[in-house]
Amino acid sequence: MATDSDVLYPPRPEPDALTQFFWDGVNEHKLLIQRCSNGHYIHWPKIVCRFCLSTDLAPAEVSGRGQVATFTQPVQPFHPYFQQHPGYVLAVIELVEQPHLTLVSNVVDVAAEDVRVGMPVEVTFREVAPGFTLPLFRPAATGS
Amino acid sequence: MPNSLNRVAIAGVGYSQTGRRLNLTNDEMVRQAVTAAMADAGMTPADIDGVATMGGEAMSIGHLLGLDPLSYFFTSNGGPAFVEPAMNAYTAVAAGMAHTVVAVRLIRQQPGQADRNSGAVTMPATVGGDAQFTSPFGADAGAVAMIAGLEMTAHMAKFGTTEEQFAINASTQRYHAGLNDDALLRDPLSVEDYLNSRFVSKPVRIFDCDYPVDSSSAVIFTTVERARDWQHKPVVVEAGALSSLRDMNFYQLDDYATTSPKHCADLLWSRTDLTPADVDCAQLYDGFSIITLQLLEALGFCGMGESGPFVEAGHTRLGGSLPTNTDGGACNVGRRHGANFCIESVRQIRGECGDRQVPGAEVAVWTNAVGPFAGAMLLTA
Repeated sequence: MATDSDVLYPPRPEPDALTQFFWDGVNEHKLLIQRCSNGHYIHWPKIVCRFCLSTDLAPAEVSGRGQVATFTQPVQPFHPYFQQHPGYVLAVIELVEQPHLTLVSNVVDVAAEDVRVGMPVEVTFREVAPGFTLPLFRPAATGS
Repeated sequence: MPNSLNRVAIAGVGYSQTGRRLNLTNDEMVRQAVTAAMADAGMTPADIDGVATMGGEAMSIGHLLGLDPLSYFFTSNGGPAFVEPAMNAYTAVAAGMAHTVVAVRLIRQQPGQADRNSGAVTMPATVGGDAQFTSPFGADAGAVAMIAGLEMTAHMAKFGTTEEQFAINASTQRYHAGLNDDALLRDPLSVEDYLNSRFVSKPVRIFDCDYPVDSSSAVIFTTVERARDWQHKPVVVEAGALSSLRDMNFYQLDDYATTSPKHCADLLWSRTDLTPADVDCAQLYDGFSIITLQLLEALGFCGMGESGPFVEAGHTRLGGSLPTNTDGGACNVGRRHGANFCIESVRQIRGECGDRQVPGAEVAVWTNAVGPFAGAMLLTA
């Protein structure tokens, strides 16, 4: 049975040793992505760079700027929280730092019908519940 | 006897009873499917020495049905649905690991919203692993319609594919289903019906989704020489290919518009002298309709990005230049996860398809694909 907390909050991440830095960064309003010693970014966090097999990886702060690679509007989500938020925009965001460097997130502060593939966006850190912050994306400020 | 590369053929095909939430055990469904395939071929359990399955466990299925001792067994841990065990069966026979391998798919209807409302299925309050990067944003694990939404949006944006073209695709497949007694959804579906239907994950509509059912399917692969001894003329495996481009997780794709089929198709055509122009009918996975369109392009039946106009022009309809998903597809025969496309290909080449028979069909291609992985098999008379 769904509990109140299921309805009120999105599923909370359970960071592990590999991913703790990402969520710590989010809580400090920084977008941190793993980068290897040869300069390749990879996301989601792994133990090895898939481009050069370097195991010398460290979190690096990125600009938070990117574009909407693609998106969808789930109408029948499974989770009770998202059932309370019909019309939310589930998107794949490609960051400017590297081709195909993508995150799954939501596009906010814009009507869903105005979201476009290729739309420039920037990260915005939103507290979706007390003590629970997520990196979401909004249309980029003009000129950014 | 040393291993050798044998030519391989399909000698028997069969389904279990298929429908919504059947009151049958997994074992009973697999028993029905394998028994039907053996009856189709004229075989007994003593004629089979290998099992490859997605759903259930290969050794246990072998023992259940008296196929043991097995000389080959494969149980999928996840991949491009039926084409994975089918490719294992094919390659095991080709390599001489076994002489006759049955490929099995068992799939049960997934839990629905009613199960979640009743508390029979609950959603987690916290998520670790890969899901920590998707579920907090409303990307539910297992909600593949969302992936299809991402792929469909990308295809429409990149190539200008329209919702009317998806409507024509759905309507065309339903027309084929109306000619197939095995199809579960057979009433005509108009373009307007499609455009008035509800969204599941916009722009994906309910008629872009395969129809969830309980089903098991079985296909028996053996050597061409042995296949000649059974009831039907052999349907020969001309070539096969599997492809995995990225992480198993569907949310890690480089290009949502085209995904994995192109690499798979290039491999397939590199292994045969046949070309797309030689194909009489195509059976292209439609877990979501966008996948069928991606496969039409990847296999070279139309240019990249041109599948929408290709469907709109009627090429994929019976009587068109490339009748596609002639059984009605999984949107209408139920989610048999690609096994229906293998079985329909066999039946077309045998000439068993009645009102939906493609005249003189001798070459068919069938596929599975979604997200990072794909598989394809080319069959000939």
